[in-house]
Amino acid sequence: MKKVRLATVWLDGCSGCHMSLLDMDEAILAVAKKAEVVYGPLVDAQEFPKAVDVTVIEGAVSSQEDLEKVRAIRQRSKLVVALGDCAVAGNVPAMRNSTPPRKLLERIYVEGADTARGVPSDGVPALLRQAIPVHEVVAVDLHLPGCPPPAKTIAWVLGELCDGRMPDVKSKVKFG
Amino acid sequence: MLALRRARTQVTPAVVPPVWLAGSKTAGATKGGRLADQISIRIDGEYVAASQGQTILEVARASGKYIPTLCWLENITAVGACRLCIVEVSGVARPLPACTTPVQDGMSVVTSSERLAQYRRIAIEFLLAERNHQCAVCVSNNHCELQAMAQRLGVTSVHYAYSWPRLPVDVSHPRYVLDHNRCILCTRCVRVCAELEGARVWDVAGRGVRSMIVCDASRPWGESRSCTNCGKCVQVCPTGAMAEKGFAVEEMVKQDSKVRRLALHHGGRP
Amino acid sequence: MSKITIDPVTRIEGHAKIDLLLNAEGKVADAHFHVTQVRGFEKFCEGRPYYEMPSITARICGICPVSHLLASAKACDAIMAVAPPEAGLKLRRLLHCAQFVQSHALSFFHLSAPDLLLGFDSDPARRNIFGLIEEQPELARMGIALRKFGQQAIEGMAQERVHPSWVVPGGVNAPLAPAVRESILAGLPEALAIAGKTMAHFKGILERFPEEIAHFGSAPTLYAALVDDGGALDWYDGRLLFKQADGAIAAAGIRAQDYGLFVGEASLRDSYLKAPYFKPLGYPDGVYRVGPLARLNVATVTGTPRADRELEEFRQRFGPVVHGAFHYHYARLIELLHALEAMEMLLADAAILNPRVRSRAGVNALEGIGMIEAPRGTLIHHYKVDESGAMRWANLIVATGHNNLAMNRAITEVARHFVNGAEIREGMLNRVSAVVRAFDPCLSCSTHADGTLDLEIRIISPN
Repeated sequence: MKKVRLATVWLDGCSGCHMSLLDMDEAILAVAKKAEVVYGPLVDAQEFPKAVDVTVIEGAVSSQEDLEKVRAIRQRSKLVVALGDCAVAGNVPAMRNSTPPRKLLERIYVEGADTARGVPSDGVPALLRQAIPVHEVVAVDLHLPGCPPPAKTIAWVLGELCDGRMPDVKSKVKFG
Repeated sequence: MLALRRARTQVTPAVVPPVWLAGSKTAGATKGGRLADQISIRIDGEYVAASQGQTILEVARASGKYIPTLCWLENITAVGACRLCIVEVSGVARPLPACTTPVQDGMSVVTSSERLAQYRRIAIEFLLAERNHQCAVCVSNNHCELQAMAQRLGVTSVHYAYSWPRLPVDVSHPRYVLDHNRCILCTRCVRVCAELEGARVWDVAGRGVRSMIVCDASRPWGESRSCTNCGKCVQVCPTGAMAEKGFAVEEMVKQDSKVRRLALHHGGRP
Repeated sequence: MSKITIDPVTRIEGHAKIDLLLNAEGKVADAHFHVTQVRGFEKFCEGRPYYEMPSITARICGICPVSHLLASAKACDAIMAVAPPEAGLKLRRLLHCAQFVQSHALSFFHLSAPDLLLGFDSDPARRNIFGLIEEQPELARMGIALRKFGQQAIEGMAQERVHPSWVVPGGVNAPLAPAVRESILAGLPEALAIAGKTMAHFKGILERFPEEIAHFGSAPTLYAALVDDGGALDWYDGRLLFKQADGAIAAAGIRAQDYGLFVGEASLRDSYLKAPYFKPLGYPDGVYRVGPLARLNVATVTGTPRADRELEEFRQRFGPVVHGAFHYHYARLIELLHALEAMEMLLADAAILNPRVRSRAGVNALEGIGMIEAPRGTLIHHYKVDESGAMRWANLIVATGHNNLAMNRAITEVARHFVNGAEIREGMLNRVSAVVRAFDPCLSCSTHADGTLDLEIRIISPN
């Protein structure tokens, strides 16, 4: 049985959705039988592979780098799953959205520093005007809201996707 | 201002409806006079008895038929603000809000269909996109009528671009908070304060997406000259827009049953 | 100058890329650590009621939300000028310990064990928790079980494993159910056994890593941690102590409200992560480390018997103050034992079931600072509010941030020792990543200010 090529990614998130994924505890052994994790924070791949079956994305799209990453991911993935409220709806990262990024950065790096004050400019990507949900940038095949989504639901969804079925999650998830 | 918020269609004045119609009052009803006209309408194919002057929602509820609502509050003037209660009426091209549409003899109503389900989801998605609803960190998380309705209707993402408006949080009152980010402009607060408490603290200012709930024609809540601190507005607010101070995230469980009971006895007054 | 980029640094919390610059001989001249993300908690919380801050700041991190919940709640306690009731304090400490268990288990088993147990040079395609499950199933299962124990304890107390809203200003919002106390107590023996076996196994394989031990960020620095009046470790409520590399005390007894006298922050030109420094020594000389190794360097004892026996053995072997960053792993395992023993002690007293767990008050002070030890190091939440309770200003100094300068130096040291620009092998680059893993950075945390810590490893050489 050929294993499903699975990737997990976190953008502007807190890793809580990945922790909820790990909260399936021993059930991860069953997932490991059906899927090969080809990219993600838990494995050592240096490049996002050219062909991935399922990519699970946590976190909002907040920087220029996130934007480029998510576009590349969409191109190389058959299915994209938005995992968690940040990826689905912006959530806490989006709380910065009514503030101009410049004001944000000045507050942190000028007012918020005791010495060597100044907004970083070298080799750091620009902030997008707003932190936005993944589907405002690329098409998303499945949304799993929650902060985080329940571990059992994530386990079930991964199982269904690995078996080639698109799960109906409506009764199993909610925002928050 | 409040007069404009009443049902636009004229309602035939009627007396207190018969007991078997579950004691519901009609908007703008007056007491005394002759018996209400008995009529019959169809809801989802079933014939149900109704009285002239009742709304579709009242008749549906009396017959045990569920229609989703959000801004509606029993025995408080209905305004049709949220558009969740839309139903299909034969012979009418567009869906109508059940809470403000009076029944007519021979009317045929459908309360659920593919189209209605889709429109209701759109209504919820518009509400979620218009302001800043971070359910995860809201005091009403898990106790919110907006969140519950989204879940009930199967909304798992919003198809419309989020607006991310810059909106204030009014913490000036010693006991309550008004967070405009969570407000859906249902105007329950406006109506309950006017019709039950009689203080008329709240109103709606501005138009369209710039509409805002305002206190005393735009004064910080803590400086209100008319607020009696009764908290009815807070308890009937369906989201975390109005909350009691000190209730942390997920703690604001509204005590709306007492206010609803009050409304049963005293509601509907102009 | 040619450059090699390690992007991403894997098996850490957050995003990291590292830049390595090679000189003409192909040796590493310098390493750059670029944090490339920013979120803005300190700014966007302005205007929010202060009592929302615990659950808002929990979203800084999904591994250690409990740390933020507690530090934030302590800051709010100060604004309210209340102390939680005794049972509330005990419960916060219990939650804190459970979090240490799951976080340290994750760090050791899921993130670092692939290097330690499968080998730094092993096949990258299998050098992960899934490879571990196949090659060393018993150890992998132990790791999953240990993390599960910590998470279940949190869930039992707080209803959620990730971002529980149980911790509130003034205490916690529900007492401990007797059934939950029973079930945690029932699970402790197995958890302790796992921790003990892991410790024994790790000590047994230490001899495999002489080079890593010698060259993983071994330069001495200051160390900082929270300790009680007797000098023992106190994760929840200690005073900050700075110890010099030679063991002498640089500053001690620092209360939360005085942190600003000793900790300053510098902005870096090429990183979204600011660099905290020890003010008396100035920037950039005032580099110090926090976290498990720093805590064991600073504290006299942990305060629980098995952990203290292990600590004694550790010091016999490596000295009274240990500098090599590789020993963060050893320190983490000692702390794991300590956390479990502390949970046992806290639960032994039935007073922890007392229903009074929350003090209530309004705004009684316009400023509050909460300081605790998160699994990765000292965490500080500093809030200012107005009379109505709206947040006006916040400053968050997060564990991994304290380690920023030290991590930069460690990466440079490791890269210089292991990376040969003429012939770059994957295992070399993995070691550069591995030194970052030793610090167990929480990049989401440290860039609360914003986003994730992108350490960019780029090897740049002149060819």
